[in-house]
Amino acid sequence: MSKCRIPLGPFHPLLEEAEFFDIKVEGEKVVDIEMETGWMHRGHEKISETRSYTQSIFLVERICGICSTSHPFAATHAMEDIDNVEIPERAQYIRIFIGEMERIHSHLLWLGLAGHFIGYDTLWMWTWKYREPVLQIFEKVSGNRNHYAMFRVGGVSRDFDNALIPEIHPVLDMLEKKMLMIAGAAKDDPVLRSRLKGVGVLTKEDAINYCANGPTARASGVDIDVRRDDGLEYNLINFDVIVLPNGDVYDKLVLRVLEIIESVKIARQCLDAFPKIGGDYLNKVKHISPGEGIGRYEAPRGEVFHYIRSDGSNRPLRHKIRAPSFSNIPTYKASCLGIPLADALITLAAVDPCYCCTERSIRVVDKNNKKLEHNLLTMSREKTANIKKAVAGSEKTPIDRIFED
Amino acid sequence: MSDKGTEFFEKFQDKITKVIKKPKRIYFNVKNEDIWEISDYLSNTMGCRLSVCTATEVYDGLEVLYHFSDDTTGIYYSPRVKTGLKNPEINSITPLIEGANWIEREMYDLFGIKFKGHPDLKKLLTINNPHFSEDDHPMRFNRNRTKEK
Repeated sequence: MSKCRIPLGPFHPLLEEAEFFDIKVEGEKVVDIEMETGWMHRGHEKISETRSYTQSIFLVERICGICSTSHPFAATHAMEDIDNVEIPERAQYIRIFIGEMERIHSHLLWLGLAGHFIGYDTLWMWTWKYREPVLQIFEKVSGNRNHYAMFRVGGVSRDFDNALIPEIHPVLDMLEKKMLMIAGAAKDDPVLRSRLKGVGVLTKEDAINYCANGPTARASGVDIDVRRDDGLEYNLINFDVIVLPNGDVYDKLVLRVLEIIESVKIARQCLDAFPKIGGDYLNKVKHISPGEGIGRYEAPRGEVFHYIRSDGSNRPLRHKIRAPSFSNIPTYKASCLGIPLADALITLAAVDPCYCCTERSIRVVDKNNKKLEHNLLTMSREKTANIKKAVAGSEKTPIDRIFED
Repeated sequence: MSDKGTEFFEKFQDKITKVIKKPKRIYFNVKNEDIWEISDYLSNTMGCRLSVCTATEVYDGLEVLYHFSDDTTGIYYSPRVKTGLKNPEINSITPLIEGANWIEREMYDLFGIKFKGHPDLKKLLTINNPHFSEDDHPMRFNRNRTKEK
């Protein structure tokens, strides 16, 4: 059978970010796949060398729009690693709470996109509905829905308001209940099973050879988790690392659902600890000595790695950043070959390549306390009716004829 | 340091110089000829995972720092290889560890370090960018700037 080449991207309605896939197929089967990157290259490492340490933290927060806390988390770890800075206990709990809530909303976003990719839009609407309250918690805790700007060398930049605890508990209860429901649905739903079970298998050997990390590796039976292995803040918390054996897309979905439930448990432990632990939340660091430091953190997608070399000035001499997708995306070479083209897209998306956009949907209320969206709807209907009236007098357009038929 | 780490440093004591030890981070210098053997031991015998590599330009040359993570103990082993500023060349470890493929391409792209033995050494990030020609490596201090057309 003759080979056929299908170019996908760099700008394509199915890809949320610019990247180019060169897929070669024989009939339905994918036989070769090449990827070209570079459309999103912004030179953060070079920019960081021209900024002070505090500015660098806010700069690296802008790398990703979804897991925006993971980069500052790792960057502050790297800066603290140079001088072995101690962090106050309250700041450690605040860091964990922010990190885990972000993991919840990032996994929910992936679940929705995965449902959308396989044409199962019900899952997409459910999960994005449950993601909204999590973003609202962020708005209450930090003032921002996406870039929380909570991290500083030696602690966090704002304190957690203990009065918010009674508001957050019901959201966590709701999330746990709904995630158990989705986990149950994934077990029984014939659509999810038939589209995901046994699709895009990444074996344990391949995961180790490609140096995969995060949920991609854990779903293939590789037991690694930076939160447990590196310790630091997470030594304060009891949690389980979830590892699944099969390595297919179905296991990656189930693993993320189970991780959300685990993150809810961690967030509850933090909420229980906040009233008991008072004191300072920032250990002010005035100077970073010459040396080199490595910091890492388990982002929702895997291990984020930051390396900082300091020469004693207020700017890093070298700031190396490695996002988890950098290690996880090349695994397509092992998981995508030999599968049908329709399954290739969900397999490519299964490593959760980073998407830089979030929807914002909040009800706007006008000054009379009426919901503005209804006004907008009425206005839109009126406008359509006016256009129809105007068009009715004139000659019919080709589009009108199509509708008549 | 774990038993595995002590064994490693005893085995390669004549090939390792300038060891900097911190509680969970160990940096040491190795020669270009030995990086294959040391990477082989770290990844296959000790079961470490290659996190990433960092290339840095310093006053007397370029250096590449490999970050091997021992996930059972949380310790980073970081061998450092140095090379000159003119025609920098280092032995590739991609045939040994597939995960090193992209990062070696990135270091070739941004710093111009040629990795000997890499199966497909081409630029990674600036490959499609008309502002960067083939011999323009943007992270170098004295870079060979592409002329504006």
